[in-house]
Amino acid sequence: MNPTAGGWVILLTIAAAMLLAVVHLPETWPSWLGWLRPVWVALVIFYWVMELPHRIGLIAAWIVGLFVDVLQADPVGLNGVLLAGITYVGWRFYERLRMYAILQQGGVIFLLLVLTEGARMLVLEIIEGRGFTWLVLMPAFTSLLVWPFVVIVLDGLRRRFRVV
Amino acid sequence: MLLVLEVTTRLLEPLRSGVATVLTPLHFIAELPYLAGGGLGEVMATRETLLARTREQETRLLELSHIAQQYHALKTENERLRALLGSRARLPSAVLIAELVGVVPAPGTHQVILDKGVGDGVASGAPVIDAYGLFGQIIEVSQFTSRLLLVTDANHAVPVQINRNGVRSIAGGTGDAAYLELENVPITADITEGDLVETSGLGGGFPPGYPVGRVDSVRIEPTSAFARVRVRPMAHLDRSRHLLVILDTPGSVDEPEPAAAPETPATPEGAQ
Repeated sequence: MNPTAGGWVILLTIAAAMLLAVVHLPETWPSWLGWLRPVWVALVIFYWVMELPHRIGLIAAWIVGLFVDVLQADPVGLNGVLLAGITYVGWRFYERLRMYAILQQGGVIFLLLVLTEGARMLVLEIIEGRGFTWLVLMPAFTSLLVWPFVVIVLDGLRRRFRVV
Repeated sequence: MLLVLEVTTRLLEPLRSGVATVLTPLHFIAELPYLAGGGLGEVMATRETLLARTREQETRLLELSHIAQQYHALKTENERLRALLGSRARLPSAVLIAELVGVVPAPGTHQVILDKGVGDGVASGAPVIDAYGLFGQIIEVSQFTSRLLLVTDANHAVPVQINRNGVRSIAGGTGDAAYLELENVPITADITEGDLVETSGLGGGFPPGYPVGRVDSVRIEPTSAFARVRVRPMAHLDRSRHLLVILDTPGSVDEPEPAAAPETPATPEGAQ
């Protein structure tokens, strides 16, 4: 990220995504609701990579992943690799992705997240023995649902603060 | 990049705790609604409820001080008897009051964040209790916060004994917040519903004598050599916000240690 116009907007939105990733429901609510949480950080990163591929690279995504690792108490490096994977796809195909309709983009993200969440489950099963469950599809699905709103909000911010 | 993953399993703790220190405000902000909720509740409480609460606490205090009076007598007697037996006295352990400031959001794991860290003397591995029983243990510390693994996490296990008769076992978390399970209990073991399960102090990780839970059900399957014993945790895992971190664990164990500590004599009777 070069320190030109509006780099702080990108940083702030990523920080906000991390905040959304740690906000939790009251403990008395059933714990499976936790599976409904969209993968906020991945969505925000994907958006910025798609719109401004020259601002966010693999290294930046990997470093964000490092922070997410600590937030979520995952093994160090796990989220870095996953986010870097998402970033690579966004960076490789950004011209095509920008032409897609929002729901089509959502579909791409859904597929990416199914892959990354599956990989996450595999790694966590190997390292910590958390087991397999079909519930991993839920974060990808809810991410698909919130993607249009993420795009609307971030588009607004990008235009308002002229992030280029 | 996968190489980094490999390193994970070794030592990357300083990096983790550094990043965790940087991220402290994030957890704090995420927890604000709950902190504010608690604060508001105190401000908005009516006079009647406050009076009722004070009365309740006064009776509770009386009850507790009644028990405490006996406790001193019992303690000295216990110490005398222990001295007669020639075993080490159990040291009272220092505690630190900590407040819960965050919950690790990943489903499938039970971990919370406390507001005390290295700066307050918290070390990795320290046991944590609440007002009702064993809560978990610290697994990672940063400068201002520490991460706590709850007793119900699937990766948590604690050596326990039955308060009634001293039958020893290991209480493992199940990943279900409602109960623990005693591992490898033979079907002949004398454990019944309602038994109090407390820490045994074996292994040295946890001090002996803290309540862990009550036996909820004992299921014996004809095909299995082991009974399935479910234990309901005593600590209010989903409600308690103020916790006690036990800083130094007195490893005073006068029962045979499982091979891990060869320097201690193996039998209690043989102790001088």
